[in-house]
Amino acid sequence: MDSANPLTAPTVREAAPISASRVRSGRRVADKILVVASTVATLIGIVVLGSILLMLIVEGVKGFSPLLFTEPTPGPGSEGGGIANAILGSLVLTFIGIVIATPIGVLAGTYLAEYGRASKLADLIRFLNDILLSAPSILIGLFVYTLMVRTMGSYSGWAGGVALAIIATPVIVRTTEDMLRLVPSTLREAGAALGAPPSIVIKAITWRAASAGIVTGIILALARIAGETAPLLFTALNNNSWFSPNLMGGIPNLPVMIYQFALSPYPNWQQLAWAGALLITITILALSIVARFVIKSERAR
Amino acid sequence: MNAPTEITQAQLTGRHQADENAPIRIAVKDLNFYYGSFHGLKSVNLNFHDRQVTALIGPSGCGKSTLLRTFNRIYSLYPEQRAEGQIMLDGRNILDPRIDLNELRSKIGMVFQKPTPFPMSIYDNVAFGLRLYERLSKADLDIRVEESLRKAALWDEAKDKLKQSGMGLSGGQQQRLCIARTVAQRPEVILFDEPTSALDPISTGRIEELIEQLRSEFTIVIVTHNMQQAARISQFTAFMYLDELVEFGPTTRIFMNPEKRQTQDYITGRFG
Repeated sequence: MDSANPLTAPTVREAAPISASRVRSGRRVADKILVVASTVATLIGIVVLGSILLMLIVEGVKGFSPLLFTEPTPGPGSEGGGIANAILGSLVLTFIGIVIATPIGVLAGTYLAEYGRASKLADLIRFLNDILLSAPSILIGLFVYTLMVRTMGSYSGWAGGVALAIIATPVIVRTTEDMLRLVPSTLREAGAALGAPPSIVIKAITWRAASAGIVTGIILALARIAGETAPLLFTALNNNSWFSPNLMGGIPNLPVMIYQFALSPYPNWQQLAWAGALLITITILALSIVARFVIKSERAR
Repeated sequence: MNAPTEITQAQLTGRHQADENAPIRIAVKDLNFYYGSFHGLKSVNLNFHDRQVTALIGPSGCGKSTLLRTFNRIYSLYPEQRAEGQIMLDGRNILDPRIDLNELRSKIGMVFQKPTPFPMSIYDNVAFGLRLYERLSKADLDIRVEESLRKAALWDEAKDKLKQSGMGLSGGQQQRLCIARTVAQRPEVILFDEPTSALDPISTGRIEELIEQLRSEFTIVIVTHNMQQAARISQFTAFMYLDELVEFGPTTRIFMNPEKRQTQDYITGRFG
């Protein structure tokens, strides 16, 4: 080996002594404190959430029986019965809500991301949408009460569905806009460069590219409204028997049923409230898992 | 680019000579471009010859992509951008507001720096532009898709997976898919915006070969950062610097015997 060759000559360098003094001891302590503090905070969160779930499962499972899904809610003080009417009512209300909210939300989100972009109108809509997103849901219930229940003269499933739609819409608007903004602008340019008008670029390219995200947003909105109670108090109310097919009058639903039965002095009702709460929780959990699955399948593509 | 770049005679030979008598396909007259209040192109005058490859070269930010993006008015997707002057194609000024943009863009294809396959099958990617402007039967559509994929040298690799997503192809294949999609519309002009800068050398070589073949049918304008690439594939070269056209001519002359000092400095790697 030619030692004069700088490429082959072994480089001998004084190793710098690694001394502990280079890192101040205060910094090590601060590091430790942060680790401990965040661990404790996480544990508190887990314990609280875990105990809620545990309580829910223990108490809810006691009330679980096939009758839950076939029998309507029992009268005050009587034994037996189920929550079939409330389950069906909740399904109907949530369905109405999401069917109204999805087209409005997706189209509004599309306007914000594709057409409005940085315009003043788009900024205003974005601002109002954010307010709606965090508006107390009881206010939305009162709004729909004034708008629909008073004019129609009766509580109804329609009013309940509309109230839920108002809760779900801003969620869908927001996620749709965010997901469309993630679609690279080069994809839009490539569509336009082939002579496709904006409507076709949106329909055939950007919606498709963002579809998984948009669907996830809709599922999360569904999960959100499935457990809403406050907007239903003034709109769908509740009902202790089956509801009429035209959805007029009080519509039984799980959240308000839980609210009323849990406050009641009857052990049977309290038991049914636990079962209903467990059912709702499982449903929302399942929806969230589906949403995650949709996102994952998109990433894998 | 810091290392001196030498374009040798060897690199320039073996390439078809510029045909200076070829009819003019695009004539740019006194073109000015603005990004809001920023003056992006200053009074550019330039002719593009039919069925020739014209390379636009110059340092980053010199306006070569801006110029390319005026030919299909893709810049008009962004409201703050505007162009003034004349760009004549088939006897009409394409900057005229009465021009139907979608029709214009079906005549002037564009391939981008990053491959942009649409989130749909390979077949649907190629058929996308065809379905927009032509009513073709299923059989005719099949023929046109195959023809386009063959022209883009992708048929052999893609024929067994036409129904699979175009996103599943490699980068080089995706770029050839985008070329197939553009070629399918039978445009008059194809614009390439640094089509190989995101690709490996082998894919780059295939795209360059492809451009050489496409020249027999289409007028081609290509923006490139790579001067060897310009020397390898183009018949004409335009050198741009600081938003202005400095020099234009047959590639051989621009590289071997430039008239302007700036051109000389750029191609020998003194700046850029």
